[in-house]
Amino acid sequence: MITGHVALSELEQDALTEIVNIGVSRAASSLRKMIGDQVVLSVPSVEVVSQRRAARLISEREVVDLIAVRQDFSGPFCGRALLIFPETNSLELVRAVTGGALSAEEAVEMEQEALAETGNIILNSCLATMANMLKRSLSMTIPEVLRGNGATLFEIDETTGSEGLVLFLYIDFAVRQRDIRGYIAMLMDIPSLATLKQLLDEFISRIVGEDG
Amino acid sequence: MADEAIIGNADQLRAVLAAAGASGAWDWDIVRDRLTVDARFAELYGLGADAADQPLPTAAFFRAIHPEDRARIRIAVAGMLAGSEFFSKEFRIIAPDGAILWMHGRGRSQLDDQDEPIRFTGLLVDVTDRKRTEERLRIAQSAGGIGTFEYRDGFATVSVSSEFCRLLGLHPADRLPVRTINAVVCEDEEPLIPEDGAEPASIDSVFRIRRSDDGADRWIARRGEAMRDSEGSGYRLLGVIYDVTDAKLQETRLRELNDTLEQRVAQEIDERLRAEDALRQAQKMEAVGQLTGGIAHDFNNLLTIITGSVDMALRRLDNSADPRVGRALDNAMRGAERAAALTQRLLAFSRRQPLDPRAVEVPRLLAGMSDLLTRTITEAVAIAIEAPDDVWTIEADPHQLENAILNLAVNARDAMPQGGSLTIAAGNRQVAAHQSDESHVSPGDYVAITVSDNGTGMDADTLTKVFDPFFTTKEVGKGTGLGLSMVYGFAKQSGGSVLIDSALGEGTTVTLLLMRSVQSAEPPADAMDEREPFGSASETILVVEDDDDVRAYTVGTLRELGYRVVEAHDGASALALLDKQDQPIKLLITDVVMPRMSGSELAAAARARQPRLRILYTSGYPRDAIMRDGRLDSGVELLAKPFTFRSLAERVREIIDKG
Repeated sequence: MITGHVALSELEQDALTEIVNIGVSRAASSLRKMIGDQVVLSVPSVEVVSQRRAARLISEREVVDLIAVRQDFSGPFCGRALLIFPETNSLELVRAVTGGALSAEEAVEMEQEALAETGNIILNSCLATMANMLKRSLSMTIPEVLRGNGATLFEIDETTGSEGLVLFLYIDFAVRQRDIRGYIAMLMDIPSLATLKQLLDEFISRIVGEDG
Repeated sequence: MADEAIIGNADQLRAVLAAAGASGAWDWDIVRDRLTVDARFAELYGLGADAADQPLPTAAFFRAIHPEDRARIRIAVAGMLAGSEFFSKEFRIIAPDGAILWMHGRGRSQLDDQDEPIRFTGLLVDVTDRKRTEERLRIAQSAGGIGTFEYRDGFATVSVSSEFCRLLGLHPADRLPVRTINAVVCEDEEPLIPEDGAEPASIDSVFRIRRSDDGADRWIARRGEAMRDSEGSGYRLLGVIYDVTDAKLQETRLRELNDTLEQRVAQEIDERLRAEDALRQAQKMEAVGQLTGGIAHDFNNLLTIITGSVDMALRRLDNSADPRVGRALDNAMRGAERAAALTQRLLAFSRRQPLDPRAVEVPRLLAGMSDLLTRTITEAVAIAIEAPDDVWTIEADPHQLENAILNLAVNARDAMPQGGSLTIAAGNRQVAAHQSDESHVSPGDYVAITVSDNGTGMDADTLTKVFDPFFTTKEVGKGTGLGLSMVYGFAKQSGGSVLIDSALGEGTTVTLLLMRSVQSAEPPADAMDEREPFGSASETILVVEDDDDVRAYTVGTLRELGYRVVEAHDGASALALLDKQDQPIKLLITDVVMPRMSGSELAAAARARQPRLRILYTSGYPRDAIMRDGRLDSGVELLAKPFTFRSLAERVREIIDKG
């Protein structure tokens, strides 16, 4: 888990995972209310990898094209958050979220909108929770839907030598008995990640410090 | 009352769980900040039996947790208290007896209407055994470099271990798409995970892969089992992979070594076969030589009798006789002479001919041959002899040399069926040390006799075989295949060599190299007296010959010439005669090959008695008895069988007159 000059310790990763878990739990709750049915979201683990590695990692796992919802965030640390699904899963998600009442054509029409909304709920919830738990404030742009492969989503630029880091989180997403595989990726530059690391340490000492 | 029922059920449940060695349960009241645990939980945590079902401070949840895991669990619990829905963590606790147990805590939060967490309940399961097993499996995998996988037919993903990913150069994951895994397998290989739904015939297989991260080519072995959980269900493939590249490379190296070994062995065998062939050829030639020698000996004895008798008959024929008798006898004589020549050739080819080397002036020898050559070679071939007078004297058997040159000339003629020109030249040649290899002779002064034609020539392949006995380019029945090999045999026997230079369509030049002699050539014998030189009764000759007919002929001839002759059929009686001689014996004529005492043994014994005794050997094939390196010992005279009246007369006269 060593990339560039910033590496998150195991504890820092655990802390980040828990914070994101709080966020996705809140998002699940929002989705449940929205669609009136069972939604389970959880994030089992997090990794910090280079952009290039993230692109390879996702293309190793997903053999089809990807669809992603993107939101940029700024504050003490800034970057770009991506909620990524394999393209084949996205219509599933849309149909699940819309209650399966839509025809295939309607689902296609609705896809963009439904995805943007779902992504917004999940990403917003995650970022808001992070800001809240880390006691900082973050501002976010409106969501945008992207399609492409790992390389295009992570904007691998062959011409620049330096590359940013990616916080890579796996999401288990179950909606109405449908299992949907997804990922949350947060692209940050090194100074932002260093700031995040520092804030995580503060968070940890607040929690663990009680133990003495 | 409903609560009581629940509690009753919970008790039962706890009992079952405790019996299973498993569990403790907790209920964390977030609002009241109180923790309630069951008896098993309290027992595991060493909280005391009465702590069960009693409100405890929430800090008690962390009390027994191993210090190394505590921070992690605190963070996870903090997440739950802040709104996470699911808790699933493995951690160690230190039991009251000091034992370290692995626990899997699994819980979830209960939210109120505002999505605020109010309770956090869960179950603690002892997973120490599983954890140990997992640890062993993990160590086995990482230390042994073995990756595990489980694939269920029809699924798009495969459960894999991180070692599995590492072996294929993939980013560690628990599940990987089938296609991702198969993408690392090299193109011509079968897929690592079956894709067609058919159960593979054998799980045990080896694959060539290109590792995803570093692009390295590796060999990966797959072992495992295909199983069916129930009839009709798809198969499940449970297996391992491991890297066998080193073994493969070693195998390849070994195979290469083996392959080259075979090649090397084949080469050795080839060489040995060639050597064996050469040896066999040599042995064959030796056998042929032995046989030839044996035949020549007997044959020449017979020819001596025939030619002698015909000779005698011819000489006794007076003018009144029927001319047809004379012609018949002439024919018989020619036949016998041809037979003698054939025998001579056989001996020459087997390098067993007795050579009688003398100082020879080549120009004179060639000049003497011109008549013979003109008669032998057709008119269509122009013959040129180029032999300047300053050519050095050589030492060779002049008859054999003539024979060799004639042979080469005949070959040249046969190479020019449409006619052409034949040049026989002689010249001096100095062979320096660095040329000695290509000339096949030791450095020194040589006379080169070249026989050149502008005929058909030979290709390189033919050239390598021309000296082989019985190799002939001529039609079957036209050549004996002994010509060049006879020349070669003669040259080698004379300490010289034969070089041949030819190309298809460009004619052939054969060069005979013969060592220069320091002796000056003997003056040619005076013009030969037409009459045979006679002897007188005062000259006594002792004839020793085991073949009665040959002896009778020899004795008869000598007596006819006027000599006094005594005869013996073997060495012992010859010596007896020598001892009791009433008249001094001038000359001992002895056969070489005789039973019991050979000619040379007899000669030695006779010389012991009479040191100045002159000796003439007669032989059809003297073997090595009187020869060293194919040459006669000095002072030894040899008359080759068959001999004629005239050759015997001349030779005997010559020897007696010498001393």
